[in-house]
Amino acid sequence: MTGTGRICVGAIAGAFGVRGEVRLKSFCVPPEAIADYGPLWTEDGTRSFAVRLTRPVAGALGARLDGIATREAAEALRGVRLHVDRDALPGLPDDEFYHADLIGLAAHDTGGALLGHVRAVHDHGAGDLLELARPRGPAVLVPFTRAIVPTVDLGAGRLVIDPPEGLFE
Amino acid sequence: MARSVWKGPFVDAYVLKKAEKVRESGRNEVIKIWSRRSTILPQFVGLTFGVYNGKKHVPVNVSEDMIGQKFGEYSPTRTYYGHAADKKAKRK
Repeated sequence: MTGTGRICVGAIAGAFGVRGEVRLKSFCVPPEAIADYGPLWTEDGTRSFAVRLTRPVAGALGARLDGIATREAAEALRGVRLHVDRDALPGLPDDEFYHADLIGLAAHDTGGALLGHVRAVHDHGAGDLLELARPRGPAVLVPFTRAIVPTVDLGAGRLVIDPPEGLFE
Repeated sequence: MARSVWKGPFVDAYVLKKAEKVRESGRNEVIKIWSRRSTILPQFVGLTFGVYNGKKHVPVNVSEDMIGQKFGEYSPTRTYYGHAADKKAKRK
């Protein structure tokens, strides 16, 4: 998540065709969800585009952006990253969190000592893992379970970890 | 070609020993293993293994639907940081 409360959800990979369509690279799951969150903003927040998906193209999506009518205008947007307001994402049930909300949280142990900060969230097929960047030492992967991460306080920007033996060795 | 059924699933002996020891002790412990080739057996369900990926031990919480797979399948050897975008994580 950026400092302005916006989340990067895609990027423009270039023009598609000669009528102002763009090749849109979506980072969402599923990729078509990029059009569900309202206008997309550029990184600096100076421009916004309403998006209408037109067709799937190889490795991306064909899309029409508001105010872009020519190939030249579409090509000029190549490389622009697109963001949505964090508030535009729908609410989630208990025990479900957006990766963007978890990344950056401070991780404390049950005694209150700082263990590190969440750098990334991975899923290798055996449940979600939080990657903790520690002040000293290599990063550690922590299973995201109720037993090991009993408290997630997004408001306070912290979570509590009760690590099993051997996890931090 | 698939492995012959009469041989049974392959598991490195030390993995079985370590798992048995932790289960008997009842402690909540990450079992560090290097054997990515070992098959996940029913008696491993509920245990957490740290499966080596060449650099570090990746924690793998074994659940029922993982039985019959190999440990290495859950411990990738290449790192990829994608974009967070609207991806969700569920606390189990």
